[in-house]
Amino acid sequence: MATSPAQTPNMVPALSAERPVNWPKRVKSKLANGLEIVVVESHSIPRFHGQLFFRSGEAAVSDRAPGLAEMTATMVRTGTAKRASRQIEEDLRRLGADLSSSAGQDTSAISFGGLSEFAEPLLALVNELAREASFPEAEFERERRQKLEEVKLKRTEPGFLAGERLRKVLYGDHPYAKVSASETEVAAYKIADLQTVYREAYTPANGALLLVGDVEPKAILASVEKIFASWSGKKPAAPASAAPAKPRGRRVYLVHVPGAVQTQILCGCHSITRRHPDWVKLGLTNSLYGGAFNSRLVMNIREAKGYTYSPRSSVNALQQHGYFSVSAAVRNDVVAASLTEIFYEIDKLRSLPVPEAELADARNYLTGVFSMGLATQDGLLSQIGTVALNELPDDYLETYRDKVRALTPADLQETAQKYFDSANMQIVLVGDRSKIETQATLFGDLEIYDAQGNRLP
Amino acid sequence: MKAPQMAIEQKMLSNGLRVVIAPDSVAPVVTVGVYYKIGFRLEPQGRSGFAHLFEHMMFQGSANAPKMEHIKLINSSGGVLNGSTMYDVTNYYEAVPSNALGRVLWLEADRMRTLKVDDENLSNQRDVVKEEVRVNVLNQPYGGFPWLDMPPVAFRNWANAHNYYGDFADLDAATLADVQAFFKTYYLPNNAVLLILGDVKPEEGFSLAEKYFADIPAGPKPPFADPAEPGQTEERRGHVEEKFGTLPAIAIGYVLPPRRSPEWCAMGLLDQALHGGRAGRIHRNLVLEKQIAVETEGGVDDIFGYNGPAQMTTKILHKPEISADATVAAFDAVIQEIQEKGITTDELEQLKIKWRSDYYAMLEGGRDGYMPKYGLMHLLACFSLFDGEPELVNTILDGFLRVTPEQVQAAAKKYLRQENRAIVFRAPANLAATSSESKKEAA
Repeated sequence: MATSPAQTPNMVPALSAERPVNWPKRVKSKLANGLEIVVVESHSIPRFHGQLFFRSGEAAVSDRAPGLAEMTATMVRTGTAKRASRQIEEDLRRLGADLSSSAGQDTSAISFGGLSEFAEPLLALVNELAREASFPEAEFERERRQKLEEVKLKRTEPGFLAGERLRKVLYGDHPYAKVSASETEVAAYKIADLQTVYREAYTPANGALLLVGDVEPKAILASVEKIFASWSGKKPAAPASAAPAKPRGRRVYLVHVPGAVQTQILCGCHSITRRHPDWVKLGLTNSLYGGAFNSRLVMNIREAKGYTYSPRSSVNALQQHGYFSVSAAVRNDVVAASLTEIFYEIDKLRSLPVPEAELADARNYLTGVFSMGLATQDGLLSQIGTVALNELPDDYLETYRDKVRALTPADLQETAQKYFDSANMQIVLVGDRSKIETQATLFGDLEIYDAQGNRLP
Repeated sequence: MKAPQMAIEQKMLSNGLRVVIAPDSVAPVVTVGVYYKIGFRLEPQGRSGFAHLFEHMMFQGSANAPKMEHIKLINSSGGVLNGSTMYDVTNYYEAVPSNALGRVLWLEADRMRTLKVDDENLSNQRDVVKEEVRVNVLNQPYGGFPWLDMPPVAFRNWANAHNYYGDFADLDAATLADVQAFFKTYYLPNNAVLLILGDVKPEEGFSLAEKYFADIPAGPKPPFADPAEPGQTEERRGHVEEKFGTLPAIAIGYVLPPRRSPEWCAMGLLDQALHGGRAGRIHRNLVLEKQIAVETEGGVDDIFGYNGPAQMTTKILHKPEISADATVAAFDAVIQEIQEKGITTDELEQLKIKWRSDYYAMLEGGRDGYMPKYGLMHLLACFSLFDGEPELVNTILDGFLRVTPEQVQAAAKKYLRQENRAIVFRAPANLAATSSESKKEAA
């Protein structure tokens, strides 16, 4: 017979005294042309990480074509006035560097990392990509063809199809509703349109340069000044978009994938951005609900019931309007059972205060993983990137843990009631309709689509 | 430029458990890993997927930490945890604020000593693993390509050739008795290494390791199936149908020189010459120049982390209007060029700088944006279990930086031969016609 688990806590070693968490100094600067700069020293290895980001992404140009910002970012590394594509790639290798250029809904960014002994030449290359990209015709034709195959391929991934449908449902006419271009839209991309996006978005007044690693702030700032000071360009006007209407009532959207042997569930509702005063509360509430391994959702539908491998909930912090979502890829015969548990756990959080001990565990988890950002150069970069992008107060990193520690069961219950909008959650299911349609109808009015986005009868 | 040297201390406990400590004071975070020298290569025949299923069971309960308690204790200490099953090792790891070090070691020791699980746990995790296989393989375009498709085509020894994620029938056949037998055979202190990295004082780490692990009894040296392959005399080919994807895919794998053999370092740099990002010859040639492929990637996956036959594998997604034959021919031309002309000193210099940079990044970096020092932990563990020499972490780089252009060319001639490779064609069902040669060689 098993010994009673109740005896075990006595044996668990207690935590020793916490060692201090000291965030390194952020050296901030701004060039006369408006480029913001943040430098953080971290000398663990002779490398550094950086990001040059611009406060314009797909949402800023969605009135022209979806995916235009991403296509522009893709082209940025394919040639400059001074270097052809092959030269750029070989020079990166010669500097021991990695580089990527990409765009999301709210930003376009060039991210890079390499040996600190070559920091200056790498910054010079980044500068060239940001200012002198030449958009070669042949590279454009090749990249566009690749993008065409990519958008086709994405329509075969359950995770993509679920995310795409949820965005459409939550954001309606708002630019955030579009996560990918269609094949026709990609085929219609023109170099001149990309160059316009490049001219408007890639400007110093619209950008910030973050550098973390084995660098000396004074020296690296002098290099930055030397390399980037002659750049000019104004901040583009941000197009105003009307706030998306909140969907009312639960509805179910089934994306039919014939032959699917599993169903991807994705439920979501509107929430808040990172600048909102409730952000920290929502972060903790989410963590306790389904953000951590030890969360209620994971313990329920994975560890107790075995419906799924990796259920998770998350708060998606877009710049204008965020959303909360719950995802799980489940066995076809337990779609209804999984949804029941997903909503049970949401409704429980809305109805009953969280026990103190469970709340303390969740607080410890969130404050602990937050501090892990200290341990690596890219962890630090990600934390200071969050602060810079969202224009959070200077002491955000230092005060975050105290804010989490101050939260009470009442805070969590109130937050769940406000932002885990159970009655109005939208439900997306990606799977084979013949296996799951009857289960789907139990949760609300049903609309069925194919993988191309066409409504099916 | 002097390479960063990792401070390392080690000690062998009386039960044969090696303890390796790599202290630094970058952050008040400590990473703990326990690596067992057992991977899916050595799982029992008729029990494909068992090593991985077993890894899940290690989170299901030990003598003093019943189900859910292990995960709960790590998370509520402010930490994260996971485990993974590889060819020759299985790891369990945590990163926590350093004030939780004692607790983490206690938990790892508790499950090294006694696995306390029941049929309900096994049935639960069998279900979880099946959903894992579905989400990663069966319900995804190109799921398992090529890591699950390649072994049965390339290898003849069951240890190397079977389905590592597991056939569902084999997963269903696994019993609690299998679980306990596997635990008893392989999960021994004398078949493991404990790693403690980050904010720890070595004397404190050793003393905690002694306190929690020293009384776990050693066991008989586990039996190891011989993963040696019979000699290969001709190219091997196989075909897999792609159920969801839209493009034909090809994977080409060459068997690598044995770990730490004279050609091993040259092969590492040759791999970079071929696969190193967009400057790599394969991507440059097939994607950028000839535009036959839409995407290419691949190379040697984790060169330090295997202890048996392994491959350098190129993965190609090619345009549907180009035949599989033409794609392979274009790939062969890239290989032939490096065999005939070798590489220049300048190219090799670039490759070495990138290799050095990547190695440093591995020493510091985490995994998927979490788990600080995962890379250093993995290197120390593999150098301990395979080489008995964790200090290699500070010297292994030298061998790669000494490679000459002649050695790279020699490795290309010796290892990139057709009779040393296997090819898997994974074409979408509705495009089968474009893969002209498919018919003649269903392996």
